[in-house]
Amino acid sequence: MVTQADQRTVMAVRDLKKHFPIKEGALQRVAGHVRAVDGVSFDLQRGETLGLVGESGCGKTTLGRVLAGLEPATSGGVFFDISAPQRSELDSALIGGDNASDFDNGHRVDRLAGEEWRRYRRNTQMVFQDSFSSLNPRHLVSDIVGRPLKVHKEASGSTLIERTVELLEQVGLGRQHLYRYPHQFSGGQRQRISIARALALDPELVILDEPTSALDVSVQAQILNLLHELQQQRSLTFLFITHDLSVVRHMADRIAVMYLGRIVEEASTNDLFAGPKHPYTDALLRANPDLTDDDEGFRGLEGTVPDPARPPQGCRFHTRCVYATTDCGWEIDDVVLQLEDTPALFDRLADVERRSAFDADLRFDDESSAAGLASALQADDVPGPMKAALDQVSVHGQTVSIRFREVPEVQLTQRGPDRQAACVLDGLPE
Amino acid sequence: MSVTPLDSQLTTIAPLVASVRDLRVHFRSKAGIVHAVDGVDFDVRDGETLGLVGETGCGKSVTARSFLRLVPMPPGIPVSGSILFRPRHACPSCGGSGCSTCSFGGRVAEVCPACGGSGCEICEHTGAETLDLLKISERDLREIRGNRIAMIFQDPGKALNPALSIRSQVAEVFYAHRSEELLAEAGVDVSSASPLLTRRARQQSRTAENALLSLPPFRSHRNAITKAADARVAAALAETQIPNPLAVMDRYPHELSGGMKQRVMIAQALACDPDLLIADEPTTALDVTVQARIIELISELQDRHKTAVVYISHDLSLVRKVADRTAVMYAGRIVEVGDSDQIFHNPEHPYTQGLLAAIPGTHQERGKLAAIEGTVPELIDPEPACRFAGRCPHHAEACWASEPQLLPVGERKVACFIHHPPESGVGPTIEKTA
Repeated sequence: MVTQADQRTVMAVRDLKKHFPIKEGALQRVAGHVRAVDGVSFDLQRGETLGLVGESGCGKTTLGRVLAGLEPATSGGVFFDISAPQRSELDSALIGGDNASDFDNGHRVDRLAGEEWRRYRRNTQMVFQDSFSSLNPRHLVSDIVGRPLKVHKEASGSTLIERTVELLEQVGLGRQHLYRYPHQFSGGQRQRISIARALALDPELVILDEPTSALDVSVQAQILNLLHELQQQRSLTFLFITHDLSVVRHMADRIAVMYLGRIVEEASTNDLFAGPKHPYTDALLRANPDLTDDDEGFRGLEGTVPDPARPPQGCRFHTRCVYATTDCGWEIDDVVLQLEDTPALFDRLADVERRSAFDADLRFDDESSAAGLASALQADDVPGPMKAALDQVSVHGQTVSIRFREVPEVQLTQRGPDRQAACVLDGLPE
Repeated sequence: MSVTPLDSQLTTIAPLVASVRDLRVHFRSKAGIVHAVDGVDFDVRDGETLGLVGETGCGKSVTARSFLRLVPMPPGIPVSGSILFRPRHACPSCGGSGCSTCSFGGRVAEVCPACGGSGCEICEHTGAETLDLLKISERDLREIRGNRIAMIFQDPGKALNPALSIRSQVAEVFYAHRSEELLAEAGVDVSSASPLLTRRARQQSRTAENALLSLPPFRSHRNAITKAADARVAAALAETQIPNPLAVMDRYPHELSGGMKQRVMIAQALACDPDLLIADEPTTALDVTVQARIIELISELQDRHKTAVVYISHDLSLVRKVADRTAVMYAGRIVEVGDSDQIFHNPEHPYTQGLLAAIPGTHQERGKLAAIEGTVPELIDPEPACRFAGRCPHHAEACWASEPQLLPVGERKVACFIHHPPESGVGPTIEKTA
């Protein structure tokens, strides 16, 4: 029995950001950043499975790649294999005002070098979604699965072959598959090869990026069973990235829900499915077709994911949220988003002068258009909370000044033991 | 062709829009003949949603594409079978709102020209005009494609033409199938219209004709035809709840999100109010939240248009939500077909049982998912045996000796020797749980 004190955290992530530059023009000037991962923090304890769910484009795959060391982080820290005292030291330093980007206790993966770096790399492995593109079509299975052992000088010659066969047998393949190419296998078998490769160096943490979404349900069940069996045998830690809620419910101990680069809710699997605390989680659960549930409440979500280069203020989900309140961060961009379908409203728009995301002057070419916008803002099809969040709408000739109530970014807050959600509401209305 | 009592009973419940009879489509390959679809039988009733589920490579897409003869031949070989289609039109006594004449379906069938409605071999004794989609001429088929039978494809990014605006892609349907109505809406007398204009309304004008059309006597009519088509496109887009259809019309597919593109496809498919809509994995490329919206939309439009839908998917949980009846396919054959509730609550075929048990849910312990062992068999020149025998937990001697046929079990049909003892050999047995 491990006590709390000597329980090691396999990976601690603090305020992690990964921004990709958007380049424009002949000179490749940086015009902005896509904030794929924008301030994510969580811990991975040894032996647990953390599920990471969200829609496409929410940054879950990027997060997985940063944790695996395949992409450098823009800022924030990823700490590998730290003990409980070190973790509390880290957290108190961050609360004390230190920046996660500056804190270094010898476990920061981007500052590791030499032997320490190799130890991190071999202990953090990844299984990719598309086994077609993640296995080199010109390499034999023996090369693919044996390569990590060779690179880390674990084995060579006949021992290498024996170790490779052993690995293949663990994932349900065998010696007869050694000298074949990836294209000779079915999708399920290829995913088994990927898993064998990831397990070759006996890692602590395996990052599974949609490992079964390209597979049929009967094969998916085989792979999920295999993953669970391997986790039991080797006390592996899994980060299970998926969009399939049924799969993650089956596999994960804890679930983190991502939306537009941030975690909006984190809870144990049972708690999360029993009663989501964030409207986005609720929407995901309702949209998931499930064999066991009734048809009641099955419904989709309106709108599209906003541009991650310009994420909404306040709560990032407020543009699509059915429970949105006045405090959710209504801003100038929402004026355009809500009214862009009104014909001819913005046709005569000449210029927008922004003082902040909440405060701007919209100048039109004629006075009637300006008055038209002001009255459209009070129309019935504009959400009530958005109207209530308007501090000021004034028309001066051709210019409309709009100011919304300023709201800080909504942060994750504790909602009971081991449970966090980033929502201004304490609980969702029934 | 004899009619079983069960069949005749069903036809009185809801008339059959389409029937697939012993469809076999094979493909030539280097390794041999691939029996992709090998004896598929099912019916689609008026106004219902039939779910067609199965794993990758089981032949569900080939079956769907056969309806419109979209399977490339060669390498495809049409071996045998027929797809019978009975075109319908709005009920004359109620105009589509539902009355006793049309048994509240809103549509009635055309009368069979061969027997005048008394029932003959051609119409399978239904008295309705019956076309074999695999035999009619390409010209007749063009009249049906997009008009009486429409299709929604899996990947809207690939199915829409990236070089054409949404306006011209959706308008094409109207030009192809509703040219006379377009002329009438443009104020042109259809019977005495100049061939220049009728060709324009069919989008068949040549360069020289276009030049003539831009000159005064024709110009106003030409513009009116374009305007009529645009109005119809806008109405079709608005029906699929696309916000601001007038602006979307001038966009190109890459400017729209995946969900929006799929809505455009649905607008295109339902533009001519078809009798049968074939949806081939319409939501597989979409996020769950968008998927739920698209499904709501399809069923809403289906209720309004009273269209029959064949919904193809590999996702059983989804089909359960969508379909009234479900057909389960395995390795080119249908193994079980019947009412969705019955199939999902009490599957009879071992494959259906296996598939349902393999879906991760709350009731299974982690690591104890009931996976179906093994893989789908090669479909190259298969032996005359049950295709599932190699993976079936109940297989017996007879399963390897002959193919089980799809025969009635209660209200559904199952192809398994457990339910129909084989003619010879020892059949499989199963402990029936109450």
